Amino acid sequence: MVQIVISSSGTGALAQWVLVELQGEVEPRQSGSLAGSLLGDLHYTREGIPVLIVGHHILYGKVVQLEKPFAVLVKEGGAPQSGPGAPQGHYTVTALIKTKLLFKTRPKPIITHVPKKV
Amino acid sequence: SLVIRGEKDEQAVLCSKDKTYDMKIADTSNMLLFIPGCKTPEELNADPSSPNIIHSQIAGFSNNYWELRRCRPKLKKLRKLLMEDPYEGPDSRKDQALTFSKYTTEDLLSLIQASEEEILHQLQVIDACKIEGYWRILEFDYEMKLLDHVTQLIDSESWSLSKVPLRTCLEELGSLEPREMIEHILLSYGRKYVDDGEVYFEMREDKICRAIAQMLLRNAVKFNLSEFQEVWQQSVPEGMTTRLDQLKGLALVDRSSRPETISLLKVEDLPEDNQERFNSLFGIREKWTEADITPYIQDLCAEKQTVGALLTKYARSSMLNGVKVYNSRRLIS
Repeated sequence: MVQIVISSSGTGALAQWVLVELQGEVEPRQSGSLAGSLLGDLHYTREGIPVLIVGHHILYGKVVQLEKPFAVLVKEGGAPQSGPGAPQGHYTVTALIKTKLLFKTRPKPIITHVPKKV
Repeated sequence: SLVIRGEKDEQAVLCSKDKTYDMKIADTSNMLLFIPGCKTPEELNADPSSPNIIHSQIAGFSNNYWELRRCRPKLKKLRKLLMEDPYEGPDSRKDQALTFSKYTTEDLLSLIQASEEEILHQLQVIDACKIEGYWRILEFDYEMKLLDHVTQLIDSESWSLSKVPLRTCLEELGSLEPREMIEHILLSYGRKYVDDGEVYFEMREDKICRAIAQMLLRNAVKFNLSEFQEVWQQSVPEGMTTRLDQLKGLALVDRSSRPETISLLKVEDLPEDNQERFNSLFGIREKWTEADITPYIQDLCAEKQTVGALLTKYARSSMLNGVKVYNSRRLIS
């Protein structure tokens, strides 16, 4: 039987990360790659509402405490050990996610102010 | 730590020290980005000296994640493994030969999709015992032989069924069987307690009557119910009373046949999967009353699930002669 161990990464408290949930997909501009690119700016209003500006769009979201928190697992490298009873894989819990910023409203394009015709 | 367990042909489960969870991949059409060190509004408010711009990196993103749901541990395999080589007693030639069908606790942990505590608890429930470091189930005839030694001794010594002394049992029966086996049978069929420094057992009437019924029923496919009840009552120790409700999950009474009959049907011989269990039961009998079917589906109930809920999901009800009965939702050939 396969046995894969999941353990916490040793000493100290686990890091707390935040999840950002977006409807739809994020595409890199001009067919670049996502890695290393800037996604956008995250702001919070005085009332604590998260606001995300991506390209020329603005999205309003809300802070949600996750009912079922997530754990982020990182697979440990190395070939699986052979032999009966030895675990054949190892994941380490790197961080916990208890909060998410959910953006599910339609992104609004930001249009610069067009002066009315006098 | 947690362990994911499964053979290549099994669905993966996650086990903690004492619980088992089904693992499923959940897909979402939304994009999930994870950001280390991202602060929530509360955290920013609490920190008055925060700079104007914080540069954060998105560690990664995903469309799916693993979801856990608490499930029943998959323990049917445990009995199956231990039944490969039941212990037949010290005189058995079998045990002297080297067999590979013997399992330590470590072995079981690497073969059964369940947590350690759930496995250890189930070993206790099925009256397994550790012999030379290996978990063993007693072969039924040997188990009945041991039980018989004890009940004969209780009878000849005229002990009360609720005060059977361990010490005397070991002294009197130690020449016939290994002491560990005598103690094991007392532990299996009695409740241990200490009185005035001595260990006694309160014998469990229901369990003993049930074992004797099993011994009688395994010899034929069906028995005439009233004949069986007579023989059964005569076969149990003096002072014990047999009752049909002692046989729940062990035997099935057919009240529609003339004469009424009873036959062996052990719940532990039925499939572990819900749908397969119901298919099997409806293959045995087309229509079941709730009272008759409950002992055969009780163990399928998840945390906080009732037998009624299971019946609603897997069966269809109708009325037969004024009684509510359940039959299969699908065609059974």
